[in-house]
Amino acid sequence: MTRADTARTAAVLALTAGTALLAKRAMGRRIERSPLWPMPALDRPVSGTMGLRRTGPDRSERTVRVTGRHAVADRVVQLRLGAPDGAALPDWEPGAHLDLVLPSGLVRQYSLCGDPAEADTWTVAVRLTDDSRGGSRAVHEQLHEGAELRVRGPRNRFPLAEAPAYLFLAGGIGITPLLPMIRAVAAANAPWRLVLGGRTRASMPFLDELAALDGGQGRVTLVPQDEAGHPDLAGALAGMPPEAAVHCCGPAPLLDAVTALCEGERAPGGGLHLERFTAQPPDAAGPNHPFEVELRRSGRTLAVPADSTALATVRAACPDTAYSCEQGFCGTCRTRVLQGPVEHRDELLSDAERDAHMLLCVSRARGAGQRLVLDL
Amino acid sequence: MSNTERTELKARRVAFDWSATPLHWLPGDPATTHTINVLHLLLPAGERWFVHVYKQVLPQIRDPELRKDVIGFIGQEAVHSQAHDDVLPHLAELGLDPAPYTAQVDWFFEKLLGDRTLPPGRPRQWWLMERVALIAAIEHYTAFLGDWVLNAEALDRRGADPVMLDLLRWHGAEEVEHRSVAFDLFLHVDGGYRRRVRTWALAFSALVFLWQRGARFFMENDPTLVDGRAGFRAFLRAGRQGVLPSAGAMLRSVPTYLSRDYHPSQECSTAQAVAYLNSSPGANGRPQPGGPHTAAASGGALR
Repeated sequence: MTRADTARTAAVLALTAGTALLAKRAMGRRIERSPLWPMPALDRPVSGTMGLRRTGPDRSERTVRVTGRHAVADRVVQLRLGAPDGAALPDWEPGAHLDLVLPSGLVRQYSLCGDPAEADTWTVAVRLTDDSRGGSRAVHEQLHEGAELRVRGPRNRFPLAEAPAYLFLAGGIGITPLLPMIRAVAAANAPWRLVLGGRTRASMPFLDELAALDGGQGRVTLVPQDEAGHPDLAGALAGMPPEAAVHCCGPAPLLDAVTALCEGERAPGGGLHLERFTAQPPDAAGPNHPFEVELRRSGRTLAVPADSTALATVRAACPDTAYSCEQGFCGTCRTRVLQGPVEHRDELLSDAERDAHMLLCVSRARGAGQRLVLDL
Repeated sequence: MSNTERTELKARRVAFDWSATPLHWLPGDPATTHTINVLHLLLPAGERWFVHVYKQVLPQIRDPELRKDVIGFIGQEAVHSQAHDDVLPHLAELGLDPAPYTAQVDWFFEKLLGDRTLPPGRPRQWWLMERVALIAAIEHYTAFLGDWVLNAEALDRRGADPVMLDLLRWHGAEEVEHRSVAFDLFLHVDGGYRRRVRTWALAFSALVFLWQRGARFFMENDPTLVDGRAGFRAFLRAGRQGVLPSAGAMLRSVPTYLSRDYHPSQECSTAQAVAYLNSSPGANGRPQPGGPHTAAASGGALR
């Protein structure tokens, strides 16, 4: 071996050793912190959490027991539900609902009307409807004290908005999601009013508690149909400060009337918040309205007809938009929403993800003529 | 292209009920169970990464047919990722927490193979093409495994949990169904032979590395095994018994992919895959509640 060869070998060895040392220094600390040698780990791991983040059917399903049952009005029964072992239940906020899986397998949504601070109990109130297809009848006839059933949720698609003043409009059993809201608003000393319609005074639940919350201030207007006809919605809306938020829950005609009264310039400053209350299955979609999507990054606004989807409209303009299942379960077409009220019809996104994202294939704007601003 | 069996690719809605699946879902064979379980460690992060990369390459596709295929591929991979992800909490419930390992796999795909800060233009394009080629190489192996599991009758004979078997075969069948997409895309946007060889070597070594470490991780942390070890000998034996792919078949798949006239359509059977997909309980809205049969099978293995 010549001198030059020896020198070259030595240089290569020194270089290799140097590189190895450098690499060890660079990676060393990350590797030591990692639970398994020799790879670093992601600080906040993603794998294994997708199911926990998802809110589709059967994700949050659990068994609860009926721990209390009382009639709270004519044909209205209130159920208190607790974990069979008495443990604490997941937290919820006013406006949240629970899916009850009834003994027949039917799934029905009922708003939580109890106190969120009561950690071991969820409370729902159910009216027996004449046209019941089995939901409320099963609750009334089969869910006695001690009975066990499966529930999913709670989920909140009707959260209480932040506003300086509140108007609550309820039709019949639609008072249930509003009751915890009124308690929260009253506790925060914010100004509020409630207009509660119903067939008869005896059919209206929670009147005693509402009177106590009102404290003789005249903030609650009861409108039993047999005594006073239909509530004066226009008057109630006109009597509120312009920045108030309006929360409304009840049968479709009430919601339609309120929506019509709040269109355009008459929209309340704190927003109109609706919870559709029907005997429909929970995931049945409402009617399709036409709406607009604005693609903020491309600077275009497109009209989505009632018989089409946001995805089809966006794809016509941007053919590279990724999508696949077109049924709201694969998540490929998930898109960031910068502005606008979304009616989520997917079964994938969690409530937190719904704050800023939608699935273009199934979800739409909430209400006719609304505009959604997308990050596209 | 020689792809004669073109079917329209569509994500399928699936549901699997894991409540009755035992830890050792292949009764009495923890080593094989855990070797296959490594799939649940790699696929959630890996297939999310496929989707992430393919969404970036979508604007570069000029062939509308191929674009349709890639879009279908993206949807299928997204659902695969979710379906395997749902197994992980179940493993944790059974006392085998996969999080230390999956956190590293997350790092591997999201950071190491993620979007690097590169100057726009050639470096960025090079990195995108490198990843597209890597995916084509990995998809060669997912199709290989998919074809294997569709035909692995030994798993049925040994009483493997039907829900797990359905997940593996539904996934395997979709891999077989879309086996040409990744390779066609690679040919469409790049197709260089040197890149194909280089990324194959990388993908193959990474798979071997991650797989053996995942199997060892599971065996060492399995709460029901006193001195759990994953060995190469056990792997060879399982291959001979037909509960894992045989070493010979795996070696033979190497020259196949490196052959200059390779195309995925030359392998596997789309008809078999589609037939399975039409009968899979999980993919047709009939999640098996893991009836008494499974519960009995689990008795001996674990609980």
